[in-house]
Amino acid sequence: MLIRWRHLLAALVALPVLGLMVAWLGLIPVGASGGHWAATDWFLHWVMRNSVRTAALDTKTPPLNNAAMLPLAAGHFETGCALCHGSPVQKRSAAALAMLPPPPDLAEVVPTWTDAQLFEIVQHGVRFTGMPYWPTRDREDEVWAMVAFLRQLPDMDGPTYLRLSGLATPIQDGTLRPPALACDSCHAETRLDGNGLIPGLAGQSEAYLLESLRAYADGTRPSGVMQAAISGLEPDSFHDLARFYAGQARQSLPPAQSEPALLDHGRRLAEAGDAGRRIPACLTCHDRADGNPAFPVLSGQSAPYLESQLRLFAAKTRGGGAYADLMIPAAENLEERDIEALAAYFSSR
Amino acid sequence: MHHLFIVMVIGGAIIWALTIGVLAYAGRTRPKPMSVRGASRLIVWGGVAFPVIVLFLLLSYAVWLMPQVRPWLPGAMDGTAEIEVTGEQFWWRILYLDQAGKPAFETANELHLPVGRRTTFRLKAADVIHSFWIPALGGKMDMIPGRDNTLSLEPTKAGIYRGPCAEFCGTSHALMAFSVVVMEEADYLAWRAARTQAPVAPQKTSGQELFFRHGCAACHAIAGTPAIGRIGPDLTAVGERQTLAAGTLSNTPDSMIRFIRDPASIKPGVKMPAFGMLPDGDIEAISAWLGGLK
Repeated sequence: MLIRWRHLLAALVALPVLGLMVAWLGLIPVGASGGHWAATDWFLHWVMRNSVRTAALDTKTPPLNNAAMLPLAAGHFETGCALCHGSPVQKRSAAALAMLPPPPDLAEVVPTWTDAQLFEIVQHGVRFTGMPYWPTRDREDEVWAMVAFLRQLPDMDGPTYLRLSGLATPIQDGTLRPPALACDSCHAETRLDGNGLIPGLAGQSEAYLLESLRAYADGTRPSGVMQAAISGLEPDSFHDLARFYAGQARQSLPPAQSEPALLDHGRRLAEAGDAGRRIPACLTCHDRADGNPAFPVLSGQSAPYLESQLRLFAAKTRGGGAYADLMIPAAENLEERDIEALAAYFSSR
Repeated sequence: MHHLFIVMVIGGAIIWALTIGVLAYAGRTRPKPMSVRGASRLIVWGGVAFPVIVLFLLLSYAVWLMPQVRPWLPGAMDGTAEIEVTGEQFWWRILYLDQAGKPAFETANELHLPVGRRTTFRLKAADVIHSFWIPALGGKMDMIPGRDNTLSLEPTKAGIYRGPCAEFCGTSHALMAFSVVVMEEADYLAWRAARTQAPVAPQKTSGQELFFRHGCAACHAIAGTPAIGRIGPDLTAVGERQTLAAGTLSNTPDSMIRFIRDPASIKPGVKMPAFGMLPDGDIEAISAWLGGLK
């Protein structure tokens, strides 16, 4: 028999119908237990590596050799990532290994990616795997902190991991309720060394802490770390948490050493601003005895945190409570040196 | 100055009479064909020589008159102005200077001038080009970033005038104006003295406390209080000004409340952030306190 055009045409129509029939009859197995064929497995990984490589082509990597980034990322890693990928203190569980594809041992795979490629994977996740994307697109600084941490992870020993992630934080006085305990693994005063991206909460006003929790919960203050951290909390508990941390006492840390000229520049900006550059004086709103309690206390806060927040305000992505937008015009004319000077000044204040 | 008017009226009348006369003559006579030579001569004398001579005379007269129209006053020459006005998007920073040219006090969006005396202004711009113009009192002068321009004006009649920004400067250019209060010399001196002498701290009210509590002093200054912000308009005695928001709203408590709550809805592109998140009672108390500053 001769194969004619109409035969080809009939096959073209019949084949998809046949395919749909197979799917409709439930003949395609979706169970993970069978695993992928070796060819499928190779193809999926090949596609994924190519895709990440191309996506990372024009990603600019900031300096990542920065110890301030590690505690924030380690704390988030412990609550969000270690469950599947394991950590220096806990191997991947059998449950995680039964996923398809199984989440890789990061000590093995991290060295095979560049920083920019790790950024793409952590920011966007990986389709058809269990790898989630970062909950917000507005906090590349958090994702870069995670990349900095991942770079250190393959060589990290257990005690270092425990210290960085906050798991080793002793319960302070036995009076904490469980939600505060979760917050405390990162924010406990005893854990903070005054030099990380994690802010101290002790001594902030209840109003500010409550507004911040609400802003994280409804996404008006974007943060992948905080959104993940509080997603399991009842909004009713926000009041208790805010009151708890507002009532905590600040620990006194030895002030970080800064260049005197930088501190002096920071002090002048904080006290008098710079009208010519449209920079208002920070202290007209912040850290006043008679000030609005919704304005956070800056004195004694860690310099890396203050810098990160000022940069976010200047980029108009910081968000926060009802008053947060007042900071946009206040921060948008700050130059990098001003930001460093202000952070150094307030952290030493 | 009034010679210019008389000369122009008489000169204009003569030229008008000549033109009409020629027109009437042309209408009454029967034109005969002219020779090429005669026509050429008419064109050369009537179309070239006559206008050249008249325009030359006018130009000479104007150049001769110029020093009287824009006199080079001592203040204008050496830069010792009495008032420095800076155009900013979208308001006027007004700095009164003392005899030595040092800042005496600052105000915003309202000039006070003495009648019958020439006042010299130094004009600046903080961001883009603006133009200072009080149509009832004299010519306009551009305010250019990085440059000091000088202008002098002599009001001849007391009263309240308005000055708009006369150079497009952004979205709220049309909402950038100021008022000018021209007063008798004695009143003017009394007003200056009241502004210059050590101000008495305004009575402490809840409005004043709220002004500081919410950080208004970060951008605004009020003499006699700890508010020394110089980013936005000085609010000393804002209650006595004719208008709010640089000539945009009448100075009423309601206007003040509206402006604090959402300035950009009144002046698009304004630098002041909206304070609509404040409790209504706080905005009302702050407005009442500011309105009472005189």
